[in-house]
Amino acid sequence: MTDILRFSVPGKPEYVGTIRLAVSSLANCAGFDIEAVEDIKVAVSEACTNVVCHGQPNREECYEVSCEVGEGRIIISVIDRAGGYDISKYRRPIMDKPKEGGLGIFIIKTLMDEVDIFSELGLGTSIKMVKYLNSI
Amino acid sequence: MSLQIQSSFNRELNQWEIKAAGEVDISTAPKFRACLDTAFQEKKADIVLYLEELNYIDSTGLGVIIGTMSKMKENKNRITLVNPKENIKKLLNIISLDRILCPEI
Repeated sequence: MTDILRFSVPGKPEYVGTIRLAVSSLANCAGFDIEAVEDIKVAVSEACTNVVCHGQPNREECYEVSCEVGEGRIIISVIDRAGGYDISKYRRPIMDKPKEGGLGIFIIKTLMDEVDIFSELGLGTSIKMVKYLNSI
Repeated sequence: MSLQIQSSFNRELNQWEIKAAGEVDISTAPKFRACLDTAFQEKKADIVLYLEELNYIDSTGLGVIIGTMSKMKENKNRITLVNPKENIKKLLNIISLDRILCPEI
């Protein structure tokens, strides 16, 4: 049995913190420990930040954050219609030469157990992140 | 969910001492960047960032630190992070900034 919660969020910086709080509260209720809650909080926040940062400026549409809890895991999907990007151009940051950008996806992949990114140029992007209750 | 930031110049040690409290994310990163930029423009010296009251920082905030670090390199100045909380230490470790910026870890 799983429960699904959906948030529709305006693509503005000031609401990223609201989603961060809501999702960490949800993860806490679902039984994740403090460190896992923190990982989920950072990952969802990074995904929302990507939408707000890389979305096209004239598209003030809402993006969707959907959370599925139950069966020993939480699945969070962040889905936008902000224009998409070419995933094949993503490069893992080179840690000896840190740069300002490109850290978000790398951080999400490190903190979550499973991460799938789908993006279609001209349309939008969706990031699906899974964290298991008993993951180490 | 806001960022409080205080900066002062320590003449004796010839360094900026900046205390950040609260959260640095996409909504507060511009304020964080402005503070670091203003300080370094006013006087080119090392920066020590005190983080004991900082609860959260994300990739935009870390990006600001990395950006400042590269600007300071030309002048051979350093930025040092002091007392980051465990959650922040973990992020710094993920992006390998801990060994560059946190001498005490």
